[in-house]
Amino acid sequence: MHSDLADALLRAAEKVYGTVEGVDVLSNEGLSREDLEQAISRRVADWREGGLVLTDFWGGSCHICGVAAARGHGDVVVVTGINLPLLLDYLHNRDEYGPMALADRLIRKGRDSIRLHHGQTA
Amino acid sequence: MSWLLQRVDDRLIHGQIVVAWGQRLHPERIWVVDDAAAGSAWERDLMSSAAPDVDVQVVTIAAMTAAWAAEEEAPGGAFLLVRDLKSALALVESGATITRLNLGGLHYAPGKSKVNEYIYLDDADRAHARALLARGVALEVQDVPGAVARSLTALDPASAPA
Repeated sequence: MHSDLADALLRAAEKVYGTVEGVDVLSNEGLSREDLEQAISRRVADWREGGLVLTDFWGGSCHICGVAAARGHGDVVVVTGINLPLLLDYLHNRDEYGPMALADRLIRKGRDSIRLHHGQTA
Repeated sequence: MSWLLQRVDDRLIHGQIVVAWGQRLHPERIWVVDDAAAGSAWERDLMSSAAPDVDVQVVTIAAMTAAWAAEEEAPGGAFLLVRDLKSALALVESGATITRLNLGGLHYAPGKSKVNEYIYLDDADRAHARALLARGVALEVQDVPGAVARSLTALDPASAPA
C-alpha cells in the first residue's frame, strides 16, 4: 500500500483484534514497478495454499504489481480497496474459507461497511 | 488539443497518473509507449484495466511515432507515458515534438544516484537527459500536480550540458 498505510491499518486492527500473525505489510515507497512486483512475488511464492494480496486502490502501483505478481498463481487473489472493517473481517474469517470465497466475502463486507448516518435536526 | 502531460515514470500507469494527474487534467487517452509492454497482450490488458474510464493505448515507440501527427490533431487531451529517458529520447529522435517533459518517477536501482526521493539517475540517464536538453526539451521534476515543478538541471547539475 501507499506510504505507511499497510502498517498503520495493521496496527489499528491489532487494537481491536489483538496481536496479528501471518500478515506481511509492504509499502510501495521508493520502489520501481519492477522492484515492487518482485517484492510481492517473493512473498506469494511460498503460499502453498494460496492467499490474499490486499491493496489500497484500483489502478495504483500496489494493485497493478499485485495483479502482476499473482499471475500464474491461481490461488492468489488480489482484493483492492481495503478498509479497516474489511481487514478485521479477514482476520476473523481467514481460517474458515479458501482464498476465492474469502475474497468474495471481504468485497461484500468492505462495501457494506461504508454507510451514511444522517444528522438529526434538533 | 492534444498533449496534456508528457511524462517519464518507470511505473507507467499508477495512482499518481490515474488519480492525481487524471482527475486534474481529464485526459481522454493515455498513450503508454513501451516496446516491452506493447508486446504483451496481458500487460496491455492490465494497463487498460488500471484506468477503466480512459482510452489506454499501449504501443511501441515506432507505433507512437506513426500516430503522433494524428494525436496532435485529435479532439480531447492525452497523456504520454514512457518508462525511461532513453525511450523519451528515442521518441524525440524519431520526430515526436516534445517541448516539456515531466520527470515523475525514476526509482532507485543499483548504480543510480539520488536526485530527490523519486528520481535516481546513472551516467546513461544523464547522457540521455543532456541529449534531450540539447534538442530543446525542458526537463521538469514533479511527481504530482500539487507539487512545485523544478528543472532537472537545478536539482542535478550533473545532468546539465557541459
